[in-house]
Amino acid sequence: MTPQNPNVVDRLAAEYVLGTLRGPARRRFERWRGSSALVTERCLFWEEQLIPLARALQPVPPPPQVWQGIRARLNLPEHRARTRPAYALAIAASILMIIVLGAIVYWRTTQPGRLSEVATISAPAGTAAWQVEIYGERGRLLVRAGQLPPRPANRDFELWALPTGGKPVSLGLLPAGGTAERNLTEAQLQALSHATQVAVTVEPAGGSPTGQPTSTPIFVVPLRTVS
Amino acid sequence: MPQSAPSTADLDERLSGLLDRCAAGDSGALQALYELASPLLFGCLTRILRRRALAEEALQDVFVSIWQRAGQFSAMRGRPMAWMVSIARYRAIDLLRHERAAPVLVPDLPEQAPAEESDAEVSGWLPASALLERCLQLLTDRQRQCLELAFVGGNSHEDISRLTGNPLGTIKSWIRRGLQSLRQCLES
Repeated sequence: MTPQNPNVVDRLAAEYVLGTLRGPARRRFERWRGSSALVTERCLFWEEQLIPLARALQPVPPPPQVWQGIRARLNLPEHRARTRPAYALAIAASILMIIVLGAIVYWRTTQPGRLSEVATISAPAGTAAWQVEIYGERGRLLVRAGQLPPRPANRDFELWALPTGGKPVSLGLLPAGGTAERNLTEAQLQALSHATQVAVTVEPAGGSPTGQPTSTPIFVVPLRTVS
Repeated sequence: MPQSAPSTADLDERLSGLLDRCAAGDSGALQALYELASPLLFGCLTRILRRRALAEEALQDVFVSIWQRAGQFSAMRGRPMAWMVSIARYRAIDLLRHERAAPVLVPDLPEQAPAEESDAEVSGWLPASALLERCLQLLTDRQRQCLELAFVGGNSHEDISRLTGNPLGTIKSWIRRGLQSLRQCLES
């Protein structure tokens, strides 16, 4: 049974990440973590927030047999080392710096709220065309453009939520580059809450004039709840 | 500070890129990731586990997990080091359950001194982070000390009580209130 009270979940998540939640309570919490998006989200929050405490850590180079052991356990081929040791040490030190800076930057850049759902739009085995992120709590949609498919003249790519048992609901046009962010309407949020997939269609410039897709989707991809 | 040291954003991107490649099954990426991240993760594990042989075994477990779970990371798009340090810390705490039934009074580390320059350099490399510093300043010295003992040293409430000579109930409440203040400050 997962606790429903967000304050309780948050308090447990903080102590889990800090490491002071121990014994059977820790093992129980780990099981919840695998099955509850709220628990997962609070753990991620605390992992990112508390990581600057790691600045008290000192890098210690491990002995060579550790890598040999990993390679043997995963049955991996040997690659020629590509990083010179002195450089690797400099990087290890930089990594510590990143921890501190990164946690702060991450906190600032996720101000749209907590990520609740995500979809990666890409051809099978291809590079991502768009990364779609839904911040349900604050009703925000964020789309990052990647390697886009060729776009016919006077056409736009339109994103759709596919609610189970309902008609597609437009989530707006997809950006041709960079990152686009916008508010979601109540109807769009409603559709998303019943959707396990999103689709992309090629529509006349400015978007479908009918409010429904006018062509067969070029992508239909799963919408994953962040867990 | 070596001039060849890459910038923060470059490194962050590089680590994420390597994790993406691990997710796609590229073992060369795992090796590159190991070369970059293993000193810090090993430092974390030795600090918590205090036994070198156990920390070496744990580091293997950590990289096996990173390899197997890289796909999950790619989907979440978090900070790569926070993700990897978390895997290491959870593994170490898990191992403590079996290994530190009795407190280790004489730690068998360090057998091998950390690379000479790391100690002085690392602290020099760490810029003051205004937000975090401000939030940590709001905590009492005792709260801050408890959080560090728990996070960095992997100490339990009982360990911290013993180490600081304060009653268990007091430690629990300092930690609870410390986390609460930190959250309020970071989210405000």
